[in-house]
Amino acid sequence: MSINYTRMSALIFLLLFMMYSYFAGEIQVFSFDENADFNARTFPKLISYLGIAVSLLALVLSSNEKEEFGHYEWLKVLVLFALVFSYGMFIKSIGFFISTNLFLLVSYYYLGVRNYKVLLFSSIPVVAALQFMLHGLLDVYIRDPFLQLLGVIS
Amino acid sequence: MNEGIMIGIETAFSGYNIFLVMLGCFAGTIIGMLPGLGPMSAIALMIPITYGFNPASAMILMAGVYYGAIFGGSTSSILINAPGVAGTVSSSFDGYPMAKNGQAGKALAIAAYSSFAGGTIAAVFLLIAAPQLAKVSLSFQSADYFALMCVGLLSIAAFASKGQFLKAMIMTALGLALSTVGQDSLSDITRFAFGNINLMDGISFVLLVMATFAMSEAFMIILKKSDINFKASDASKNKLGSIKLSKDEIKEMVPTIGRTSVLGFLVGVLPGAGATIASFLAWGFERGIASAKDKLKFGKGSIKGLAAPETANNAACTGSFVPLLTLGIPGSGTTAVMLGALLSFGVQPGPRLYIEQPELFWAVIVSMYIGNVVLLVLNLPLIPYIARILAIPKNILVPLVLFFSVTGVYLISFNAFDIYFMAIVALISLVLRILNFPMPPLILGFILGGMLEKNLRRALLINDGSFSFIWDRPISLSLFVIMIMIVSLQIYQGVKKRKLSPNI
Repeated sequence: MSINYTRMSALIFLLLFMMYSYFAGEIQVFSFDENADFNARTFPKLISYLGIAVSLLALVLSSNEKEEFGHYEWLKVLVLFALVFSYGMFIKSIGFFISTNLFLLVSYYYLGVRNYKVLLFSSIPVVAALQFMLHGLLDVYIRDPFLQLLGVIS
Repeated sequence: MNEGIMIGIETAFSGYNIFLVMLGCFAGTIIGMLPGLGPMSAIALMIPITYGFNPASAMILMAGVYYGAIFGGSTSSILINAPGVAGTVSSSFDGYPMAKNGQAGKALAIAAYSSFAGGTIAAVFLLIAAPQLAKVSLSFQSADYFALMCVGLLSIAAFASKGQFLKAMIMTALGLALSTVGQDSLSDITRFAFGNINLMDGISFVLLVMATFAMSEAFMIILKKSDINFKASDASKNKLGSIKLSKDEIKEMVPTIGRTSVLGFLVGVLPGAGATIASFLAWGFERGIASAKDKLKFGKGSIKGLAAPETANNAACTGSFVPLLTLGIPGSGTTAVMLGALLSFGVQPGPRLYIEQPELFWAVIVSMYIGNVVLLVLNLPLIPYIARILAIPKNILVPLVLFFSVTGVYLISFNAFDIYFMAIVALISLVLRILNFPMPPLILGFILGGMLEKNLRRALLINDGSFSFIWDRPISLSLFVIMIMIVSLQIYQGVKKRKLSPNI
């Protein structure tokens, strides 16, 4: 039995479901429910048995597949992931309009867009249109200090 | 029943809902056409837009998106040999060679007419089958529902995961496990929240769907170095040629459409099978029964070879609504997403839906006819223009998809934690997808988890904690026999595969 990514992932899942099983046993149930036929622990316990069984089978029975991680552009994905994360950090403090435009502009630029017309037309009108649709048509309120300052929204 | 149909027709033919069908078909075509983004991503992206809608209008929009996405997937299959949807892979076998021979317009027309015919014939079957099945399913008890959901989970793992049964089962278990996060519906006991207030209400279904499909799909586009946009921009600039079909060509298509619409509908009704299997089966079936002379044309631009999968995949899409609307059990990943959306509207699909909300039940069915007409009348003539969408470079497309995904999730809770959680889930699902772990079983497990627990609880309480309900009720017993057969088939296939490739 050789080690490959599938087996490694099956092992991780096995450990995950074992932990899940442990935490399922730790769920606090009401004392009158402790010995009931079905309580809040029962279903998670059954799922953990299923998870452990199938991960174990995958660990033992999985075949050697071609799996390569090297030829992918992981760095770009990680940078985009970080941008999404930062977007989440700023969306409340600086507001939806500026944070979204910043997210789009930085993402476009990072992915190689250099034409400033494309950069601007693919961000500001898109965000403005969405925000208009939400505020004006669907009555969904998004707090936005910048637009409040400009008096666009109340 | 007649009264229900009339209410459904009235609802579906309201100006607002017709507009939604048109919008859905149009948006679905555009999203489905973009390589990598399929109907699940398209529907996931639409969910936030439907928040303010009534359930019938939301379902009508999503059904339109579903059809549109399948049609859009066919367009990219035919024009650039890059199917946006797995269900249209087999359309590229004959569609792309036709496009290379300068008959792209004709190929798109065949695809549109076949889709229209397949969808319409299947909608008639749905009209007949759904009420009958809904009546039968009224006799279902908790034990039967539990067994039925288990069959659904097993079969989607077995048939929709390209031979990765164990991996699909791991994903099913993971989806079920994720569904237990948050408050238990009966006792209100919080489970697996680890003191985090953001997890106490459970994981949002929209968050999970957006992360595993739309966002991870966007990451996947960036992850792969090959740039299909170059080819796409070429295709969108090329002339498509005439979209007119001759009488002989129509004559050649008609019997194929008749056969494969029945086949597609039946496959679509089966849980787990869906449009992909239906289209491959239809292509293989038509090739199998073709004359020796016709057989040679398959794969080189055969009209039958294109009409068969196109008819079958649309018929299967319609068929997959049968278990969703009548039993409340989704037959495919896409209908699972729709089920999740319906549940978030407070609608519980199942046999009672047919009685309690006939306007929703029938409006969805009637809107399928309208959707088919919209695709044929509006989308086909617009294809030369819509095809230009294919030229959108991925460095513009990806940030936009990320933006719509994040906004969709943020608008539900206005909680930044959901954005972080979504990004992490998307990254994990990206790695899992590279390792060939299928995502639809995860979503189905997550959506069915709550219902599965509720029905198991009821079945066990009725039976004094005994699992004897498995063999006590004939319906449950037959469903468990089906489960054993599915597992046995998978074991047999696994053993056969190992024998063929001893280097394991």
